[in-house]
Amino acid sequence: MNRRARVPLAAILVAAVAVAFFVLPLVGLLQRAPWSSLGDDLTTSQARAAIRLSVICSLWSTALCVVFGVPLAWVLARVRFPGRSLVRALVVLPMVLPPVVGGVALLAAFQRNGGLLGEWLYDWFGVQLTFTTAGTVLAETFVAMPFLVITVEAGLRTIDQRYEDAAASLGAGRWTVFRRVTLPLVAPALYAGAALAWARALGEFGATITFAGNISGRTQTVPLAVYLLLDANRGVAIALSLVLLAVSLGVLVALRDRWFGGLRDARG
Amino acid sequence: MRRTLALVAVAVAAGVCVGVLGALPASAAKPPNVSGAITVSAAASLAPAFTKMGADFQQRNAHTTIRFNFAASSALVAQIQGGAPADVFASADRATMAALVSGGQVTAHPVNFAANLLTIVVKPGNPEKVTSLANLRSVGIVSLCAATVPCGKYAAQVLSRNHVSISTDKITLGQDASATLAAVASGDADAGIVYVTDAKRAGTTVQTVKIPASRNVLAVYPIAGLAPSQNRALANAWVRYVTSRAGQRTLRSFGFLPVPTAA
Repeated sequence: MNRRARVPLAAILVAAVAVAFFVLPLVGLLQRAPWSSLGDDLTTSQARAAIRLSVICSLWSTALCVVFGVPLAWVLARVRFPGRSLVRALVVLPMVLPPVVGGVALLAAFQRNGGLLGEWLYDWFGVQLTFTTAGTVLAETFVAMPFLVITVEAGLRTIDQRYEDAAASLGAGRWTVFRRVTLPLVAPALYAGAALAWARALGEFGATITFAGNISGRTQTVPLAVYLLLDANRGVAIALSLVLLAVSLGVLVALRDRWFGGLRDARG
Repeated sequence: MRRTLALVAVAVAAGVCVGVLGALPASAAKPPNVSGAITVSAAASLAPAFTKMGADFQQRNAHTTIRFNFAASSALVAQIQGGAPADVFASADRATMAALVSGGQVTAHPVNFAANLLTIVVKPGNPEKVTSLANLRSVGIVSLCAATVPCGKYAAQVLSRNHVSISTDKITLGQDASATLAAVASGDADAGIVYVTDAKRAGTTVQTVKIPASRNVLAVYPIAGLAPSQNRALANAWVRYVTSRAGQRTLRSFGFLPVPTAA
């Protein structure tokens, strides 16, 4: 309890400046919001289509992050293999890469015309990812998955492995140990990682517009609609921004205590 | 040895004199004492031409720096109205410029300095066999500028003038002329409508399908100095350079057309 007293006053003042730095732009947005026409702005067909698409794509993306990210985090946390740190760096790269560059890289891999895999996918199966809703999900997953992987990997590293050893010594197979012991222990980290990945997918812009384009109802998610409407219809743009903001903030606040708190407990 | 040195000195002195004399007529044509730096906010379609002209201008006028801010004209107007520091604005259409004129944010009446036409661009080899605007209805994805930016307004005019309507779920919207071109040049869009100048700069990454002049729309580019400028002398010098013979020659070399006298 007297831990608070150990923080010097100067640090508290600097921290207050930092908080103001984060809060001020949000207040600005709220102040400019077209409150009286908010309902009309959000029910325009373009806004509705963008919100619907954002919800669908971000949930799909989160599901893919969990399906592929959890095994990846598990391997990174538990399997020693040469080049593991390189693999980890590659997995985290999309977090620091400008998303537009990520979009260009995705094009090089998955585009129909000359993409490493994309050309082949199109010629053999007639599958085109660019300019499709699937392409939007792909772009979102590319930038969001690192958040899940590093959170779950950190969670796995903090688990006391003796629980797993005990289960194994009592005859549980590898799969059973994972399902009955490891997964419940890592659940707080998994929820936190999924929430972060989802929030990141929801806000994705650069990789999406570069790779999947900007097609109303198909690939035009809320951030893309906001950008496009900024000089045409600022009211709708700000109204949509508020929705993104409210949803993300709501989820982060609601989950913080339960899931991130759980993560803190797991770390001891 | 000493004699050689003396000769060198004479030669250098002579060279300096000749240099100064040679430079005199050129500098006499220039407005006196422009120096410092300005920011030119210009339509994205002007980027290659203005970049070259900026380098030429700075070479002619030592101690000047011309910085550029290229984006969709409509986005630039929003920035300028929001207080972004800019000294000159060059727009791809007169409507966006008019917004600044009516707001009293320009120093002088805008000058029209260039014109541009639209063209269809397709993948090299024209795999979808596009020969006219009407064909755009049957290709997979068409890249157009968003309706809010000038190139999007012009594209919409061209399409409606030719009675072609394309279903919106096949249209990917670029936030400016460059992004719209990139969707075809380096992405998977099958066709697009862009400025002739953009198609020209894209080289072999796209193939053009001409829109006949009678069915085309002429884009006229106005330029004006901006009122909040801290360096109006240099801003005016840049506007004069853009409309000068040298500036016009560079614009032509990038595919821009002269402004028709009626415009």
